[in-house]
Amino acid sequence: MSKELIRLQDLTMEFDGERILDGINLYFNDKEFLTLLGPSGCGKTTTLRIIGGFLTPTSGRVLFDGKCINDVPAYQRQINTVFQRYALFPHLDVYGNIAFGLKVAKLSKEEIHERVQEILTVVGLTGFEHRSIDSLSGGQQQRVAIARALVNRPKVLLLDEPLAALDLRLRKDMQNELKRIQQAMGITFIYVTHDQEEALSMSDTVVVMDKGRIQQIGRPEDIYNEPKNAFVADFIGESNILDGIMLSDYKVKFFGRVFDCVDAGFAPNEPVDVVIRPEDIDFVPAGEGHLVGTVTSVTFKGLNYDIIVDFRGFKWLIQTTDYHGEGETVGIRLNPEDIHIMHKSEYSGMFGDYSSYSAEYDELTEDADDEEE
Amino acid sequence: MKKANRILTILIFAFLYLPMLVLVVASFNTGKDLTIFQGFTLDNYKAMFQDKDLLALLGNSLLISILSTAVATAFGTLSAVGIHNLKPRLRKTVMSLTNIPMTNPDIVTGISLSLLFVFIGSTLLHQKESLNFWTLLIAHITFNLPYVILNVMPKLKQMNPALQDAAMDLGCTPVQSFFKVTLHEIMPGIVSGAIMAFTMSLDDFVISYFVTGSGFLTLPVEIYSYTKKPMQPRVYAMFTLLFLLIFVLMVTMNLLQIRADKKKVSKQVKPVSKGQKVFRRVCAGVCAVGVLLGCTWLILSTRQKKVTLNVMNWGQNIADGSDETMDIVAAFEEKYPHINVNYTTYDSNESLYAKLAGGGLTVDLIIPSDYMIARLISENMLNPLNFENIPNYRYVQEQFKNTAYDPDNRYSVPYTWGTVGILYNSKYVDEADVTGWELLWNEKYAGKILQFDNSRDAFGVAQFLSGISINTTDTAELKLAAGKLAEQNPLVRQYVMDQIYGIMEGENAWIAPYYAGDCMMMMDANPDLRFYLPEEQGFNLFIDAMCVPSCSENQAEAELFIDFLCDPEISGANMDYICYGSPIEGARDYMDEYLAESDVIYPEQSILDKGVSYLFLPAETNRIMDNLFMEVRIAGGDTVEEEETSVLPVVLTFSGLAVAAALLFLPKRKRK
Repeated sequence: MSKELIRLQDLTMEFDGERILDGINLYFNDKEFLTLLGPSGCGKTTTLRIIGGFLTPTSGRVLFDGKCINDVPAYQRQINTVFQRYALFPHLDVYGNIAFGLKVAKLSKEEIHERVQEILTVVGLTGFEHRSIDSLSGGQQQRVAIARALVNRPKVLLLDEPLAALDLRLRKDMQNELKRIQQAMGITFIYVTHDQEEALSMSDTVVVMDKGRIQQIGRPEDIYNEPKNAFVADFIGESNILDGIMLSDYKVKFFGRVFDCVDAGFAPNEPVDVVIRPEDIDFVPAGEGHLVGTVTSVTFKGLNYDIIVDFRGFKWLIQTTDYHGEGETVGIRLNPEDIHIMHKSEYSGMFGDYSSYSAEYDELTEDADDEEE
Repeated sequence: MKKANRILTILIFAFLYLPMLVLVVASFNTGKDLTIFQGFTLDNYKAMFQDKDLLALLGNSLLISILSTAVATAFGTLSAVGIHNLKPRLRKTVMSLTNIPMTNPDIVTGISLSLLFVFIGSTLLHQKESLNFWTLLIAHITFNLPYVILNVMPKLKQMNPALQDAAMDLGCTPVQSFFKVTLHEIMPGIVSGAIMAFTMSLDDFVISYFVTGSGFLTLPVEIYSYTKKPMQPRVYAMFTLLFLLIFVLMVTMNLLQIRADKKKVSKQVKPVSKGQKVFRRVCAGVCAVGVLLGCTWLILSTRQKKVTLNVMNWGQNIADGSDETMDIVAAFEEKYPHINVNYTTYDSNESLYAKLAGGGLTVDLIIPSDYMIARLISENMLNPLNFENIPNYRYVQEQFKNTAYDPDNRYSVPYTWGTVGILYNSKYVDEADVTGWELLWNEKYAGKILQFDNSRDAFGVAQFLSGISINTTDTAELKLAAGKLAEQNPLVRQYVMDQIYGIMEGENAWIAPYYAGDCMMMMDANPDLRFYLPEEQGFNLFIDAMCVPSCSENQAEAELFIDFLCDPEISGANMDYICYGSPIEGARDYMDEYLAESDVIYPEQSILDKGVSYLFLPAETNRIMDNLFMEVRIAGGDTVEEEETSVLPVVLTFSGLAVAAALLFLPKRKRK
């Protein structure tokens, strides 16, 4: 990895006595695509605004290239931002918006023109110079916002949920586009989102946050495969989370059975959270399974079926391409690599039970996330 | 329902615009009467453009409005930004504090400002004239500020706060981000705030009245003092032009807004070429410089290096060049080019006294009535005159010398004189009934009788009738006179001063006591009117005389003006306009014949000898008289007020309709 560019030291932030950030320690490497991921109110946007210079932390320091920049105002930082709802200037056309920062910096007309043309090519908006902002589609406005920030050649680009206002298909396109631009320009992107899929598919590093604290930092694969606690396991993808006891290294007991697993390093007989991803579970005929249960609900999801299976009163979510009807008795097998063991945490018992599962559940949570400011 | 809506809309528009239409029509009317349209003419406009006093006043008004609007808009916008950045709770408090001055009655604001200015000017800075152009300007800025803030605040609230962040993010300091981004976003609010402030400032009367000195008057303040005679048609012409100006301004602004909106909808923004850009900048620059130069010129022209002679007279009490009369002030300025006359007016002896007693003014020449002169002398508020500067004093007729109010001829030189008599309409009033003041108590004419709306003149009439001295200080006698007035009250249509013109000329009342000169003018308008002087019972003979108040700074120049006005030719020409008697020997030779020969204005000497002048009464007597007069009016219940209240239901119904229509319209839109 390349060298460290920004470091946050013991950052705390309080508004009216309410603690928004609680001891954030984090560093960002040069040319890295890092995502701050978390639900509404987890403090990710606050962190971004502190880096951008729009907020001053209650305590703690922000280091840029090793120097403390707590007292450097936003307009003097080599950082630019793509705002949540773009915040384009309505009284200026596309060219005026993009050239804004360069004009403030008092560059020569020729250079401004050259750089605006160059960035228009990068974001694919050549020929749109004199369009008014109101006449652009959401995706085009998004590109203008990115161009307006990038044209200043910042060392770091902050992106605050830049795709939240776009529809699904456009969002997918823009994800690729952003990744491409980041690689082409070779600058650090700090990206804020509540969309785990977005985070996993674009980032070099994902930082999962909740309640003003960092829950886990890691590469997308690590975050997904080795969640540190029930919150991360549940927030990143779907998880069945069960109470278990770690008998010894590679041996875990739950549902009254001992399973082989690949995890080690726990105290003998330590109570643990056991995570089993819904897509890792294979159905077998009832007689051959480690566990036998009854199907209570089936939902067709396109790629797969979401099947809820009742195992002795505890309901699991299983994602499979095999159809099993409601009321059917099924068996499952669990391979050692399908079982992930976590230490108990404050989140234990809060997630991973599908007893109250319904198809609308997903949508409800997504709506709630959208309301974040 | 739709039809009803349309009708209501039309009604509302009629309600709003009809008064303006009447004014516009009146401005093109050949006749002086508002009620009858006698023919189309542009003379009123010509007269307006030739009336340099009126134009100067308009200039003053525009100057104050433009300057105060500019300053208030700048400060108001900045304050709004400041208030917007406060914490929400504090913001609410500050907003309600800025709103209070707007809801505060103007009169309260005006008087408090006036007190403050006089306190600072006279007490702290020891200025002779503490109320002036600058106090007026400050007052206007003060009451304009809330309007700007109120218009800008919503725009700030509507603005996406991320825009400011974005500007800072792109390298703007907070100040730069305000000018490059915020200002553009809130511009519509600033413009509407500025327009509101401008119109409020342009037509403000109440506050201006209290905070301006004699040196600088605005149009509304001066118009208010035009109360001795009916409004001149040229004023309608000016109002029409003002209305049109503002109307065109608003329409253009709306059109521009519509065009801008259309532009936004069309996709391509027209690129602005460099030439156009330069052209626009040059235009803006030229406009700005023009306005600045204009303002400077206006300021400078009001404070020329010449000696400024501050003259305070009754409204419309000097010939001003209209109706083929002589423009006395202009003639004087022509004769003495080093003197610049600053002419202002008052509407009663009492208000003149209040202005002088209030201090903070520089006035060089005043023309109060007899009893007020006595009061001013007794309070040391007049300077003795240097009669060496007034050689024309020799023309003053003997009967106007050694008067009761100035027995030694030290302080005053008479200007006009006149009588108070009875004006009646010969069409309705039997000549046999016209025997004396008792005509005003004749029950035959109940409801058609008018009476003075000031205690001194009304008591005078009753006192003459009862054979009591008009200068009595005896409470019992005053109560007797009040009893007479109470007895008359049920017969009285209305208590009037200047309103008398319309009522008598329009034959809505038949009998009224009034000043001879004014009666002369009404008789000119309605030939059925007659004037009667009850010589047997006695009548008031009054003299208005020129004096120099003790606050004068240019007494010598004031004496020059007095001398000029005593010239028989000038005095005669002056009387042509004001229709009063001249105390100057030989002036009659220069007057229009019908005035010079009129026995209304010049009764025979034997009759004149029976006239009695008002003397200065002690404050206690004045107070008793005022209270008694008030009781008469309250106890009796003004018959006419009843008639006026019958208009109230109509007005209420109309406003009710307007509100109902508004309520009907609004929710309908939403439901759609």
